[in-house]
Amino acid sequence: MSNKDSILTVEVMDSDGSTYTLHEVCERGECHAEFVIKLVNYGIIAPVEPSEEARQWLFDVAALARLHKARRLQRDLKMNLPGLAMSLELLDEVQEMRREVARLNQRLQQLMD
Amino acid sequence: MDFKDYYAVLGVSESASPEEIKKSYRKLARKYHPDVSKEDNADEKFKELGEAYEVLKDPEKRTEYDQLRKYGAQADGSFQPPPGWQSESNFGGGGYTDADSRQFSDFFEQMFGGGGQAGGRSAGGGFGRNVRMRGEDVIARLPLFLEEIFNGTEKQVSFTVHEADDHGRIVARQKTLKVKIPAGMREGQHLRLKGQGSPGIGGGDAGDLLIEVELAPHPLFSVEGRDVVLTVPVTPWEAALGATITVPTVGSRVNVKVPKGTSSGRKLRLKGKGLPGKHPGDQIVILQIAIPEQHSAEASKLYEQLAEAEKAFDPRSKLHL
Repeated sequence: MSNKDSILTVEVMDSDGSTYTLHEVCERGECHAEFVIKLVNYGIIAPVEPSEEARQWLFDVAALARLHKARRLQRDLKMNLPGLAMSLELLDEVQEMRREVARLNQRLQQLMD
Repeated sequence: MDFKDYYAVLGVSESASPEEIKKSYRKLARKYHPDVSKEDNADEKFKELGEAYEVLKDPEKRTEYDQLRKYGAQADGSFQPPPGWQSESNFGGGGYTDADSRQFSDFFEQMFGGGGQAGGRSAGGGFGRNVRMRGEDVIARLPLFLEEIFNGTEKQVSFTVHEADDHGRIVARQKTLKVKIPAGMREGQHLRLKGQGSPGIGGGDAGDLLIEVELAPHPLFSVEGRDVVLTVPVTPWEAALGATITVPTVGSRVNVKVPKGTSSGRKLRLKGKGLPGKHPGDQIVILQIAIPEQHSAEASKLYEQLAEAEKAFDPRSKLHL
């Protein structure tokens, strides 16, 4: 079922500098524009430059990754938008705290050595 | 073929009610969702859960599964479906999980996928030949060492893409690429490799590969934003008298002046020695006073003299003793 590819060397084409239009982000996130607009209204994702006109929005790679995550959580855990917004915020906080705990543990370890 | 015990996966008994099954699934799905869980095998667990729930939530499939469970188990622990086995329920996705049968095990595929036919899986009821679809984006996590983030590196990245085979069935394939990671990436940042995700269907564009950078723990340095933090021990006399000491930076070392009269915990900022980039971070050095485990008789005597000379100093004055 799976076969191993030969190894290719590829250059990174875009880092965080690349952006997607609303249309592109919908195509890549496999969702309707209404869903993305709602995510923006709930503050779950944000365009690079805020604008009243949704057609002018541009999203970065991080926003696209967050859209994918929101779609997965909505699909798998049957969340509504307020629940999704809160979960993603809490997950961000948990992640930041886990990093902080790891940093502090490391520092503590160094103080004990 | 291995038998899958769906009841064990969902942690319910064979006699569990549909309500109990749903409850257990929802609870475990929250626990093992790959976007939520930190456990290493969360992805695998979550797929297993989805598969188990897909079968047990459906009365028809559950009855069939119970029969298989009863008659298919072999003495040696392996599993063979009873002769002439064919499922009545063709799996086509949808339902509570919107399950994606591409993710499911060979056991599921053989027992419930497409009337018991072995082989590839068709996605969501199968694609027509004339459908044109963009391939899906694939997100891969890539842990990097701090040194690699500083200097940039070349890494091998393996990930799974889904593509249509000659018969239009969706199959999973391992793909491996060598990727050049530029210097100065931050944890959580993404790299995009255009067209390296799953291939498109019917001439559609390929999806992208999105690589999310993770930072592996470093034995000496920790990272806060763009700053690199390091704890450096100094002797009491270096702290009291001031000194020039050598401290490591990532990949190099620098001389640092410890100010006279330094207390433990004092922070020194080394401008521009943090993560590289357009606005490079700093290295923060936290000084920590270290005392030898044993003093010589002469040193003890000197400390006694010091105690006498510094009698007026009360480091605990703020503790209201």
